[in-house]
Parts: sequence; C-alpha cells; structure tokens
Amino acid sequence: MTILIFLLLAALTVGCAIAMVAQRNPLYSAIALIGVFLGMAGIYVTLAAPFIAAIQVIVYAGAIMVLVVFVIMLLNVEEEVRRPIRLRYLIPLGVFLAALLFAETAFIIYFIETSAYNPPPATQSNVGLTASVGTGLFTKYLLPFEITSLLILMAIVGAITLARRVPALEVGGRRMQAATTESEKPSAAD
Amino acid sequence: MNIYFGLQTATQQFADVNLWLLMPELIVASAGVLVMLVDAFTKRLDQRWLTGGISLIGLVAAAVSCVWLWTSWTGPTEAFFGMIVLDRLRLSFTLVFLVVSALSVLLSMIWVEWERLPAGEFHALLLFATAGMMLMASGGDLVMIFLGLELLSISTYVMAGFRRTDVRSNEASMKYFILGSFSSAFLLYGTALVYGATAMANGTPGTTNIREIAQRLDTALYPPLLFAGAAMLLIGFGFKVATAPFHVWTPDVYEGAPTPVTAFMAAGPKAAGFASFMRVFLFGFPFVVAAGTAQRLHSAWIAVLVVLAVITMTVGNTAAILQSNVKRMLAYSSIAHAGYVLVGLVAAGAASDLGQRNEAIAAVVFYLLVYSIMTLGAFAVVTILARSGDRRTEIEDYNGIGFDSPWLAFAFSVSLLSLLGVPLTAGFMGKVMVFSAALDQGYVGLVVVAVLNTVVSAYYYLRLIVVMFFRERSGAWNAPLVPASMAIALALTVVGIFYLGIFPGRVIEVFQASPSVISRLLGT
Repeated sequence: MTILIFLLLAALTVGCAIAMVAQRNPLYSAIALIGVFLGMAGIYVTLAAPFIAAIQVIVYAGAIMVLVVFVIMLLNVEEEVRRPIRLRYLIPLGVFLAALLFAETAFIIYFIETSAYNPPPATQSNVGLTASVGTGLFTKYLLPFEITSLLILMAIVGAITLARRVPALEVGGRRMQAATTESEKPSAAD
Repeated sequence: MNIYFGLQTATQQFADVNLWLLMPELIVASAGVLVMLVDAFTKRLDQRWLTGGISLIGLVAAAVSCVWLWTSWTGPTEAFFGMIVLDRLRLSFTLVFLVVSALSVLLSMIWVEWERLPAGEFHALLLFATAGMMLMASGGDLVMIFLGLELLSISTYVMAGFRRTDVRSNEASMKYFILGSFSSAFLLYGTALVYGATAMANGTPGTTNIREIAQRLDTALYPPLLFAGAAMLLIGFGFKVATAPFHVWTPDVYEGAPTPVTAFMAAGPKAAGFASFMRVFLFGFPFVVAAGTAQRLHSAWIAVLVVLAVITMTVGNTAAILQSNVKRMLAYSSIAHAGYVLVGLVAAGAASDLGQRNEAIAAVVFYLLVYSIMTLGAFAVVTILARSGDRRTEIEDYNGIGFDSPWLAFAFSVSLLSLLGVPLTAGFMGKVMVFSAALDQGYVGLVVVAVLNTVVSAYYYLRLIVVMFFRERSGAWNAPLVPASMAIALALTVVGIFYLGIFPGRVIEVFQASPSVISRLLGT
C-alpha cells in the first residue's frame, strides 16, 4: 500500500517536472511546477512529516508560485520562440555523458556497495513535526535562524541598490547624464 | 516524539548562547548596519569618507576581538550547540578575511566617487560579505557554512553588477548569479544527502554537525549516500574556489565586474571557500587507520583532489598565456593559484600525524594570505590604470608606461613577481611552504607538476613586466593620479609582500602554534 502511494506521488512529481521543462509557454511551466510541489508534499506526508508538507504547500505551491505567476503576467512573457540551436553537435555528447553518469551511479549502488539499507520506520522519527521544528528553531538552530535575518536584510539592500531609479542618486539626474556621456566618450580621449 | 514535550527543554540549557565567541562576526555585521544608517542620514558629498572610515574601524575592531579570542580566551570552544567553533583554522582565516576586506575598502573608497556609485550601499554589502566569509570559517555545522556562503555570494552578485549602466557589469553579475546559485544547490543537496546518510539505526535522525558526521561515518546506514553527498559538497566548494572543471565562470565574471570588486572576489571568496572546504573535508571526512567506510571515503576524496589539482594548475596556466586582457589573465592566474592551494589541501588531508596536519593547514592559510595580498595589489594597479568605466584593461594599454609612472609600474611588477614566486617575495615563501607540506606526505609527482606549472606561469607574468618597461607606447597617455587611499593600499601590499617574503617565520608560527605560544609571542 505504502509503496503504491509512493509510486503514484513519485510519478506525479517526475511527470510534472518533465512537463515543466518541456513546456514552451511559461505559464504552463509554472502550473506544472505547482504539481511538482504538491507531489513532494504528498511524499512528505507519507514520511510522517506533516509540518514540512504543510509548509511545502503554503510557501512553495502558494506564496512563491503566486509571485512567479505575477512576474510572468507583468513581464507579459510570450510563448518561447523556437530558435535554431547553436552547437547542435553537443546534444548527443550531452545525452551520452548523462547516460554514463546514470550507469556509473547504478553500478556503484548495485555492485560496489551491496550493503542493505534498513531504515527505522518513519513514524518513529521526530523530524518534520511542528513541535520538533519549533523546538529546533529556538534551541539548536537559533543562530542559523538569526543569520537568516541578516541574509534577508542584505538581500533587500542589494535588490534596492540594483533596482532603484538611477536619477534618484543625484539632484536632477545629473549623475545619470554624466555617467552615460562619459561611457560614450571614445577611450582614446585620455 | 514524547521527549520534545517538556522534559528535555527543562533540563538542557536553553540555547547555548555565547556571544563572546561570535564577537568578530557581530562587530562586522553591526558595522554594516551602522554604515547603512549613517549613509541614510548624511549628505552625499562626504559619505564615502564616512562610510569607508566606519567600515575600516569596524574591521580593525573585529581584528582586535579576534586576537583577543586567540590570546586570552579560556572558556568553551563551541557555542550554539556546535554551530560556532573556536580553533586555529577559524581564527587564522578570519584574520586573512579582515585583511582582504580592509584593503578592498581602501581600494574602493575613491573608486565609488569616480564611478558615481552609492558608497554607503557598497561598503555595507562589502561588510556583510565579510561577515559571511567569517561565518564560513567559524561554522562547525554544514547549515552554518551554507548560510555564510549565501550571505557572501548574494552580496558578491550585487557588487559584481554594481555599475548598472555598464552592460559588461550586468552580464558578469547575471552569469555569476545563475552559475553561483547552481553550485549552491549542489552544496545544499550534498548537505541533505550527508544528513540522510548519517541517520542511525536506532531512529536518531542524521546530523549536519561536522564533528558528529566524522564520528558516524563508519556506522552510516547506507554508504553510497554518503559518497554521493561528499561528491556534491566537493563540486559546490570546487565551484566557489574555481578549480578546473568548475572554473568556466571565472574569466567572464572577473573581466566584467568592476575591477575593485574583481579584486575582492579573487581574494576573499576564494579564501573563504577554502576555509569551509578544509573544515568539512579535513574534520568531517578525516584520515582514519581502520578499514571501513570512513577510510574509503577519505582515500576517495584525496584521490579526486589530486586529479583536480593537476587539471586546475595546468588549465589555469596554459589558458592565461593566451589572454590579451589583463583582467582575464589575472582570472586564469587565480585559477592556477587555486590549484597550488589544492596541493596544500591534499597534503593536509593525507597527513596521518596531527602535528603534520596542522603544519599543512598553516601552510595553506599562509599561502592564501600571501595570495590575497598580491592579487589585491595587482588589481589595485589595474583599477588605477583602467580609469573610470574600466576602459583600459588590454595588455596593449600597458605598453611603455613603466618609466612614466614608475611607482605604479614598480608596485605592479612586485605583485606579478610575487604571483610568479620569485625568491624574496611572499609568493615564493607561500609556494615553498605548500610544496614542502606535500613532499612530506610523499606527493612527489604532484609537486613536480606544480613546479613545472610555475615555470609556465613565468611567461605571462614576465610578459606584462616586459610590456610595461620595454615596449614603445602607442597613442597619447598621461600618467594617472594616484589618490591617497589607493597609495596606502598599494604601499601596504608591497610592504606586506616583502615582509612575508623575507621574515615569514613569525606569521607562520602564529598560524601554527597553540594559543599559549601566541600569547607569549605577542607579550600578553
């Protein structure tokens, strides 16, 4: 029974992932990505990690995907134009190397490392429960939690620096003007 | 599940907070916040001196607290449940980062004005990046190392794209961002696999603490997971320090980013990447005598690193010969130097004796200190000669400038000779230390390849010196004015190169010796 549910969810996840990459319309890709997130959330539930499953749905499938769809709408992205691929000869090479990597991994797993894996049943574990995540955040993972806030502060500063209007830097846009005229100057000038 | 309700939290200490151990990082991060606030409340005219000054004061204060931790700290050496550790690796790397950051502030002070960029944001981002580098060295847990890396990487992406009106700068930022996120994903996936592999049969979940990982290697439930995780961590770090198969981003990003940012990127993040690289692989997957998973893992990553070192040195040096742009050439030279550092890392990893391992670690830290100083010196000269907008970075632009601005040409030549590793310069001592550490472990072939590569590198380093002094100048050229902050930075790098080249003993002793010896050396 468990294996059946896992196979169903895994098929959903992998299928949606392939669809996401293969789609040419960005909006369809975004919707396929939601399918990936939902499939993953289902797998987390079967592994007895309800909190992580809920977060997966709320944050990823909910908040982040809404943001992605908004960006797609705002940028008004059209369907991707099919362009002739440069470096066409590299495609068979890429396929060959990927197959080689898979074969290598399978060889190592099945022939070199034959030790059996007997994991403890997932229901015994504390990982992924709301209580254990909360306890972790305020005890063991207190410092990483605080560092994350520093990370977000820095990301905000960086995003605003890169995105704000240039003329706002200086009175009446003099700087912007000066910067462009200077870069247009021929380099032999000095 | 039951242990989490009540009992355990009552008996254990709540969060193991020890802010003293976190002092250098706290000072640098607070200085970053302070810089932003000061920048918001002052007039634009004098902001670069103000924010640059605050940054320098913050960095010096962090260095003082670092020395204080080193000399007179007698308390616990771990805090926050092993998230932060205090050892020689951390403190010596922290000092290297502070030197890099202080020199970068000096380099960029006048440059932000030339380019009409917001100085406050630039210095704040630089300080946050420094805090990230320090966390990468001090983190005793893969989670901490990843967060430090992200803090460093994201601020570096922004700094690379800081000259927004320049297409090359945008391209560099975008390339660095996409490939950098890709490599961060490798690192994170590796962390997840190692966490899964270190779960125990009695139901204890896995661990990301590096010391605990080392203890659980032999009881790993499913060794292939551990090997795959270690391989992904290796790829992630290999990307950050630009080793050969993962180096493709380096020349484009270094060429396109504004030169002072390139200087910082070539020195700081590389050293920080090596700090975490060593922390994870030397302490997490260490040398063991007894045959088993741990022993096989150790010999596997050593073998991979030997191959990577050979490829990195060879690719870096041969590609550098073909370049016509000085920044690209220095980028390939930085790849080659990552290869030399890998030689030291292999030596440290292979050492079975604890004393020899510490000597090799000290050699690597010394090499990175030396490398940072000489690279920053070289890029400082490139910044001055390139003028605003990075217009003059081709090797032809350096034709015959040697006798017109002798001091600049002298400083550049000293940096280049040191990068080459000429005796009496710091680069020579660094190479001697790293190579002799590798020879102690019996890697004769590797050292021979490294020395041959050094010979190859002579071609492109000496070519620039020849171009500067013995070529006729093409076109009109007037010697650039060297502003005071740049002059200070250049003087510091030249003095540093000669000091570390002629009297390296004291610094090496400081990096090697135990804290008690340091306190005697410094007379405290």
